[in-house]
Amino acid sequence: MTAVAPITAVAPMTAVALAGVTKVFNAGRADEVTALTNVDLTVERGEFVSLIGPSGCGKSTLLRLVGDLTQPTAGTVTVAGKPAKQARIDQEYGIAFQQAGLFDWRTVQRNVELPLELRGSSRSERQARAREMLDLVGLTEFAGHYPAQLSGGMQQRVAIARALAVHPPLLLMDEPFGALDEMTRERLQDELLRICASTGTSAVFVTHSIPEAVYLSDRVVVMSARPGRITEIVPIDLGERGEATRQSAGFFAGITKVRRALRSGGAVPVGSPS
Amino acid sequence: MTQSAAAVDPVVAADPTAPVLSARRRGGVLLALVPPVLVGVAGLLAWELTVKLGRVAPYVLPAPSAIGEEFWQTREVVWRTGLASGENALIGLLVGALAGLLAAMIAAGFRFLGEVSIPVAAAAGALPIIALAPILNNMFESTSNVPRRLVVAIVVFFPVFVNALRGLREVDPIHRELMASYAARGWTVTRLVRLPAALPFVFTGLRQASSLAVIAAVVAEYFGGLQNGLGSRITSAAANTAYPRAWAFVVGACVLGLVFYLAALALERLAMPWRRV
Repeated sequence: MTAVAPITAVAPMTAVALAGVTKVFNAGRADEVTALTNVDLTVERGEFVSLIGPSGCGKSTLLRLVGDLTQPTAGTVTVAGKPAKQARIDQEYGIAFQQAGLFDWRTVQRNVELPLELRGSSRSERQARAREMLDLVGLTEFAGHYPAQLSGGMQQRVAIARALAVHPPLLLMDEPFGALDEMTRERLQDELLRICASTGTSAVFVTHSIPEAVYLSDRVVVMSARPGRITEIVPIDLGERGEATRQSAGFFAGITKVRRALRSGGAVPVGSPS
Repeated sequence: MTQSAAAVDPVVAADPTAPVLSARRRGGVLLALVPPVLVGVAGLLAWELTVKLGRVAPYVLPAPSAIGEEFWQTREVVWRTGLASGENALIGLLVGALAGLLAAMIAAGFRFLGEVSIPVAAAAGALPIIALAPILNNMFESTSNVPRRLVVAIVVFFPVFVNALRGLREVDPIHRELMASYAARGWTVTRLVRLPAALPFVFTGLRQASSLAVIAAVVAEYFGGLQNGLGSRITSAAANTAYPRAWAFVVGACVLGLVFYLAALALERLAMPWRRV
């Protein structure tokens, strides 16, 4: 069942809280699209939540609402206990997309430094933090390279390092591994989990891949399209992830559960009545 | 096939790992120079032979040897007039490019202005120098350098403006969202994202403009005004039926144009180290 705890008061333990969120694009025009309708969702601190669903189910829109890159038509979005806009201004989250979106004209190191630069960190602090982040994603020796000199997987790791650079309590990721080959993808999944575990970072992760969602998440949020809504939230309990997890019965059971939820999503809307 | 293999093989065979890249690159530059030089020499030979064997009258087309001889004899004048034209072209280029860049930055800041300014700029770009030069010459004293430099600046403005505007308006949507997520706005976004992203476009415009600047500086002199550059020498030599000498100054203008173009190219590589990798 999707019914999420009603948002009475936003506890400090809550990383993200969406209440009755509806998003309509081009409202009142012929091409009006209801991207999301009446979405309630909370993400606890340190929790890893994936959003999965068919194209057009509004999962990317949901992520952008959390990041205040687009604003809800109705409902409230609370991030780190404050309105989404304030959270964005305070840089309470780091974000990464399917394309690395690095700045070609900056070296790897300076790309990672950018969010710190915009926060007004001192030069030495920036450099130290960027090196620390590059260490984390295993790209220390490429600090002086330009993005064009790196492979796609390496660029994506830089983008993740950049998203983590300000030590955000929340990580928003929109299919960050979508364009990568399977090997790189699995390695980065493990790296991401390690980073989130070691820093206590919460994550909202958009993906098309059922195994990826199951492997990474504490909960998988299954969505359906037209109008975009949450149909089911599948809790996953696989404990410590590792190479064996990918072969485990629990992993496959999780995949089956999510797949069933996706299948039934269109037929049986389970959206929580408000 | 065998030729290229022979050219590369020794380097690769000697040490297939470390210094190959630089050695190959150096060899590559030299190798890349060979075909155009060969074609150029062959073209000059064909020209020479056509003129000599075909008994082409020198007023129709002088032989390259005659032009070369004349160029050598008048080299000091070519140098002096070339410097004068070069100075006009450079100052006009700097003024025009700067104006084009500033105008593009302003136009990019306002959606409406961006839409409206393109046709206006296109109209300005279509202004023929031929129409402008005599008018400008009459507007200033005959000893003034300003008219020619103004012509250059106007000619240069258009390619720089149009290219820069395109670059400034094409911001990667991901970069836009990233900057929003960093709560960055206005001038910060322009400085950190728009301008660097537009640089390749700006330099494309500047490369076109560099050749145009020399053409404009030379041709503007055909229509009066101060006569101390290459253009005036070309017209006066032609008027005196000294055709090889006219051609010698044309060669001078050609070299000047090439210098400007190469300088723009070098500047482009210097300014964008990330594009060299």
